[in-house]
Amino acid sequence: MNSLSKEEIMAKLKSIVEDSATEPVDLSNFGPETTVEDVGLDSLTILDLLYDIEQEIGVEVEAKEIIAFRTIGEITQLLIDKGA
Amino acid sequence: MKTLIHLIEFGLARILLFLFDTLPYRFNCSVSKGAANLWWWVDRKRQKVATNNIIRSGIETDPKKARQIAKRSIQNFSMMLVESLRSDEYLEGEDWQNHITLDIKPDVLEVLEDPERPLILAAGHFGNWEIAAHLVSRYKPVAGITRGMNNPYIEKLVKSRKGRYRFRPIPKHDNNAGRLIEELNQKNILALLFDQHAGKYGVMIDFFGHPAATFKTTAMLHLVTKAPLCYADCVRTGPMQFTVTTSHLIKQAPTGNKQDDIKAILTTMNEHLEHTIRKDPAQYLWAHRRWRD
Repeated sequence: MNSLSKEEIMAKLKSIVEDSATEPVDLSNFGPETTVEDVGLDSLTILDLLYDIEQEIGVEVEAKEIIAFRTIGEITQLLIDKGA
Repeated sequence: MKTLIHLIEFGLARILLFLFDTLPYRFNCSVSKGAANLWWWVDRKRQKVATNNIIRSGIETDPKKARQIAKRSIQNFSMMLVESLRSDEYLEGEDWQNHITLDIKPDVLEVLEDPERPLILAAGHFGNWEIAAHLVSRYKPVAGITRGMNNPYIEKLVKSRKGRYRFRPIPKHDNNAGRLIEELNQKNILALLFDQHAGKYGVMIDFFGHPAATFKTTAMLHLVTKAPLCYADCVRTGPMQFTVTTSHLIKQAPTGNKQDDIKAILTTMNEHLEHTIRKDPAQYLWAHRRWRD
């Protein structure tokens, strides 16, 4: 499988976050510094994010790994390190 | 002024708790039944919601009989509060098995007895779900989502009561996005009620043949963390007598179609709950607005 670029992973994450959100979220400034709280993820919607990352990006991420990160940039790096 | 009101409420709650703790159990049950009857006659709105829900479920089509079930349902809910307040007395002693009959399926028991495996335990508002949580805390710590009290003093009091057994309350809107997952990482039991109106967090799943917004949390936790999941109920069979039953483990591997995966799990859980309710409809809490179309 071809590896995804950092930009491609970010774009997929943005799309996943949009789909997971239960309230309208402003993603106009979505970037590496955006935090999990900024995009309105809570204990329920973060589960959608984890499911979609596994299915759409093809990387199995353990929940405890992703909840340790606070920004989209850190999550992106984790996915790259895992071979996305 | 607000603090003063909270303190007065707290004082009344302490007096009531003292009375419930010291007066005989059967006397408390009579008081609780009387309070439930009063509630039934005063809260006409709930009375109507409960009766209409029973008719809509198809369990009883005769409005008069449906009202009788709805009234007994309120009495049972009130009884549940009394039982939960006294559960320490009956479940923490050596003779707890004189009060509880267990029907835990072998695959679920294996998980409960393994300290290295967490469990997601899904239940409905049937019988006494608090007793079920208390019982399983004998195996490993239990965490569950609880609605916070408006009064901080009463909130503290409730937490201290629940803290008597190994129950960890999780606020409904916890700031920690990973809190539920953390509980499973710690190999605990996560006990979740799935049959309230879920609103924006829900998916529409048939309940007694009618679509109802159902919380998808249990399903998503199972799909994401792969933690074992089962359905459980706790039926009241007599005064301070219960039977705790579980399903076999409910298994669903992610297929890539999230909606289908969620629907498969939640449909199974709703079917278990419907089966339980049909056995004794008056033990189900019909007074909440399950269908809101």
